[in-house]
Amino acid sequence: MQRKKNKAAQFLSLPALILYGVFFVYPLLRGIGMSLTNWDGMGQATFIGLKNYFDFFSDKRALHDIQTTVIFAVGSAVLLNIVGLLYALLMNTEFKGKSIARVIIYLPAIISPLIMGYIWYFLLQPKRGYLYYACMQLGLPDLIGNWMSSYHSALAVLIVVNVWQFAGMTMIIYLAGLKAIAKDYTEAAAIDGATKWQLFFRITLPLLMPAIRINVVTNIIGSLSVFDVIMSLTEGGPGYATESLSIYIMRMCYGSRTGYSTAVAMILFVIILIPVLISMRLTRQKG
Amino acid sequence: MLREKKITKISRGVIVFLLCIAYLLPFYILNILALNAPDRVFYEGNLFIPDFHLENFAEAWTTSHIGRAMINSAIITFGTLALTIICGGLAGYAIARFPTAYNRFVFGLIIGCMMIPGIINTVPLYTLMRQLKAVNTLWGMIFVCSALAMPSAVFIYTTFIQALPVTLDEAAALDGCSKFQIFWKIIFPIIRPATASFVILNGFGIWNNYAQAVFFLQSSKKHNVPQALSVFFQQFAGAKWHLMASTSMIAIIPVVVVFLIFQKQFISGLADGAVKG
Repeated sequence: MQRKKNKAAQFLSLPALILYGVFFVYPLLRGIGMSLTNWDGMGQATFIGLKNYFDFFSDKRALHDIQTTVIFAVGSAVLLNIVGLLYALLMNTEFKGKSIARVIIYLPAIISPLIMGYIWYFLLQPKRGYLYYACMQLGLPDLIGNWMSSYHSALAVLIVVNVWQFAGMTMIIYLAGLKAIAKDYTEAAAIDGATKWQLFFRITLPLLMPAIRINVVTNIIGSLSVFDVIMSLTEGGPGYATESLSIYIMRMCYGSRTGYSTAVAMILFVIILIPVLISMRLTRQKG
Repeated sequence: MLREKKITKISRGVIVFLLCIAYLLPFYILNILALNAPDRVFYEGNLFIPDFHLENFAEAWTTSHIGRAMINSAIITFGTLALTIICGGLAGYAIARFPTAYNRFVFGLIIGCMMIPGIINTVPLYTLMRQLKAVNTLWGMIFVCSALAMPSAVFIYTTFIQALPVTLDEAAALDGCSKFQIFWKIIFPIIRPATASFVILNGFGIWNNYAQAVFFLQSSKKHNVPQALSVFFQQFAGAKWHLMASTSMIAIIPVVVVFLIFQKQFISGLADGAVKG
């Protein structure tokens, strides 16, 4: 009787499995099949083998989008962790107004990246943006003028805005990590006469290193599918310069190249698998 | 020595102050833009004092339909959270208490896909949603968002329930509770912290969802907040920054209010999640 009940009760996970299977796994598998066709989203689909993939790798725009996406992801992840760790070190000391400062720095992370992109668009738009006029009044009219009109500076701005918005999140994670480091270590080292710098580089940083590695990799994975902030801040421009692969997928889908857009999604999937495999190795080492 | 300490204290204070300014200034400037008169394009004279043209907010409210979008976002967010908590909680319970081959498969499948972002399957999902007549419906969006949040829920609930003693279940079983009742009446109330951290980790993300809303909420009556803002910007307010800025302000306010009310639980919940993860 009891065993029978257990047998039935194990299927309490069925609703989750069905929901996840229908709305996540099934489309994922169907995407693999779709990526081998020339389907336009409406009519008949014809099997064309790997042609979409060959097309992708001979398309300059697509290859450029890979470059943009990877630079954005790696740049964001590295800076997010450096800046977040610095904030955490600052917030790990005692001072008045600390909790308010923490809330203020975290605040942007809860707001839609799309809205954040619009705010910075208003600030940085050449000839129209708020900071453009601010710089003009300071007698530096050319300072911001060209930032958004060249690839490298526009991509840098996107990374900085992303880091500005989400560094509060990494700060919270590292604050928890710093709190978890036993006081014994640092106190013992301080008694031995270690300076503050030595304490940080010889004790704190090595102890945090596993957390740092995993955070960097997780942030890379998250940033590889960047969409919102680029849509509002540069719309992928100038031209297609700052277009990410996610935006490319959407535009190809809207451009009736449905089969091709799923092939691009599969390529992005493979790119994301690289840091995923790295993170799995890192976690295994940790455990 | 004392003097040195004082210098560190002051320089730290200055750094923190400047940081807070750097974080608040963009919001203040958004507010200035939102309050500027429509004809004030050039910021001659003072940059920091707006026109206090409050009519902008009224005009933004009626032309952008942001109110409707906020109601839609609220329905999607609460619907997704409820659906995912129930399904994910039950799954976590089943996986933690009955680790059969089937349940190990369920756990492996859902956690294995945890790192895959939604954009990878959004296009084929779109064709499926069209067949299900779920495009431009709030319930369709709820199911899409729920699938995206499911790995997080399953992971959190499984770990929390695994940490609970089995004697709890056994005592309840002796009292004649069915398995479902054990979960719903005993386990679920105890693991409220798990539910809290799931909501903290996912709530704002669902409210702010844009990458899926672009595909699944195209009809203007079903827009959520980000989709409504981006369509408003593209079709109408691209040149009317004062309206776009005041609409953005309106859209930000509820999120900020909720965050400020729960900020203590929020930050400690995130920190807990960080230590456990």
